[in-house]
Amino acid sequence: MKKKKKILNVIEPYIWLTPSMLLMAIFILIPIFEVFRISLSKVSKAGVIKGFIGLENFQKVLSGSAFPMVLKNTLIWTVVVVGLSTLIGFILAMVLNNQFKGRKIARAIVVFPWATSLIIQAGVWKFIIDTDYGSLNTLLMRLGIIDKAMNWTPTPAAYFAWECWVGIFVTIPFVTFCVLSGLQSIDNAYYEAATVDGATYWQRLFKVTIPLVRPSLTVSTVLNIIYVFNSFPIIWTITKGDPANRTDTLVTYLYKLAFYNGKSGQAAAVSVIGFLILCACAAVYMVISLGKEGNDE
Amino acid sequence: MSKMKEEMIEKKAKTPKQKVLRVCLYVFILLMALIILYPYLVMFTTALKSRAEIYAAKGTVFPITWLWQNFAEVWSKAPLLRYFVNSAIVAGGSTLIAILCGIPAAYALARMKFKGQKFFLGLVIISQMFSPVVLLIGIYRVMSTLHMTDSLLGLVFINAAFNQAFAIWLLRGAFISISPDMEQAARIDGCNKMQAMVKVLLPMAAPGIVTTLIFIFINAWNEYTIALTLISSDLNKPLTVGITIFNGYNMIEWQYLFAASLFATIPVIIMFMCIEKHLVSGLASGGVKG
Repeated sequence: MKKKKKILNVIEPYIWLTPSMLLMAIFILIPIFEVFRISLSKVSKAGVIKGFIGLENFQKVLSGSAFPMVLKNTLIWTVVVVGLSTLIGFILAMVLNNQFKGRKIARAIVVFPWATSLIIQAGVWKFIIDTDYGSLNTLLMRLGIIDKAMNWTPTPAAYFAWECWVGIFVTIPFVTFCVLSGLQSIDNAYYEAATVDGATYWQRLFKVTIPLVRPSLTVSTVLNIIYVFNSFPIIWTITKGDPANRTDTLVTYLYKLAFYNGKSGQAAAVSVIGFLILCACAAVYMVISLGKEGNDE
Repeated sequence: MSKMKEEMIEKKAKTPKQKVLRVCLYVFILLMALIILYPYLVMFTTALKSRAEIYAAKGTVFPITWLWQNFAEVWSKAPLLRYFVNSAIVAGGSTLIAILCGIPAAYALARMKFKGQKFFLGLVIISQMFSPVVLLIGIYRVMSTLHMTDSLLGLVFINAAFNQAFAIWLLRGAFISISPDMEQAARIDGCNKMQAMVKVLLPMAAPGIVTTLIFIFINAWNEYTIALTLISSDLNKPLTVGITIFNGYNMIEWQYLFAASLFATIPVIIMFMCIEKHLVSGLASGGVKG
């Protein structure tokens, strides 16, 4: 009886999956396919595909004078934002995991940056750091910390640093809440046992807490790498990647190529390069996590 | 109960060192709260200033004259109501589609074993790796073919598709955490699979489903890049793109930009606070379990 049922059930799951697969196929898979196709095609300014040209688009992109800098920016952007927001988010979660008065309010406040549209968040920070009328200058002058307006963004690098800060600012809540959920699922018995064994605070942190919240930390880090790598609105709002590509990342660079310069082919090539980089990261992650799983079992 | 107990233990066991730590904790929390709330304070105070005050050589932290009417005027400075409705249509529509497609898929992944299960989950994760921005060129082509550029319907479908992964992830986690025994009992009572799912599983998974709904709604509500690229006529713009009207090339109308931004943000923050707890445990468990 069970076997018969199994045979009947063979195609059933696929029927349940159909709506979801259709939705993703049309609006994600076909665009993916299109991007790959365009990256290998000659494309007119109007966007008409004029046949296969092999890797010429890639060659043009890779030999572009701005590309190495854009790649470097993307790397810095991703590493700095994900790294620092993970560190700060983790510390914040450890603090919020304590019992104290006003804990609920503190948690609610941490939600704010997560729930706000990036475009709005970036807009406010653009205003805050403005040299002429920015509110950071106003605040610091009124508090008497500085006596005349500071130029917070004297160089493109300074702009980029501010953009990283906004990126960190909006990414922290996700890390914090992921870690918090991990922390709250830890059985107190572990800590009691560690205390009985005479473990110090740092020993408990590194031998109990961190290993046990690692799954949550992994989820948040993997997702954040993808999101931050692909993040567009912050840089777009604050500098549009200018001046002269000095604050461009791959996504702002490809956006300009595609929609400002009419170079869809090269833009698609940048997309593919970005995807390949993420795939490489994913492969590294798979190898590491599969290796670990093998060890555990 | 247990919280009270913990607090009592805490009060009993206070050494001077712990007292110092406690003070440090509060200072840290206060500092964090100030930093996080600072941009919102800036938005609020700036929204209440006149343009002259904002661009004044020596600015003030708080408005000199509090122009509450800015919050009313902003509605006539741009078709803000229209933007709101557009955002609601896009967010509501994509949430509906994402959840209607996501529930059966998550159900199959949680309750059935079949060939290609891992493959499908892999596909879901890969779809996450392509953010819409990276695929914009491809998306633009597909939408042109479907005659859905500059249409809200197009935004609905794209947002639904790009939130599928989250929907499936969260819903699958919610379904797995519920024992299949109840559904089996319903099956024995003569329900078919569909009925068992709708009548037994879905009500039990309601918190997870609501969390997913709100999360997708917020994601779609806050989406900017696709809308920026696909929507060309002013009347089809959602809020995130629409409010940039105040962000002109020559002069930025900060007071209106921030007044509109606050209107766009506050409802979403409140919604988010309601689901925060469920969302996080859902995200964590959906990925780890099974």
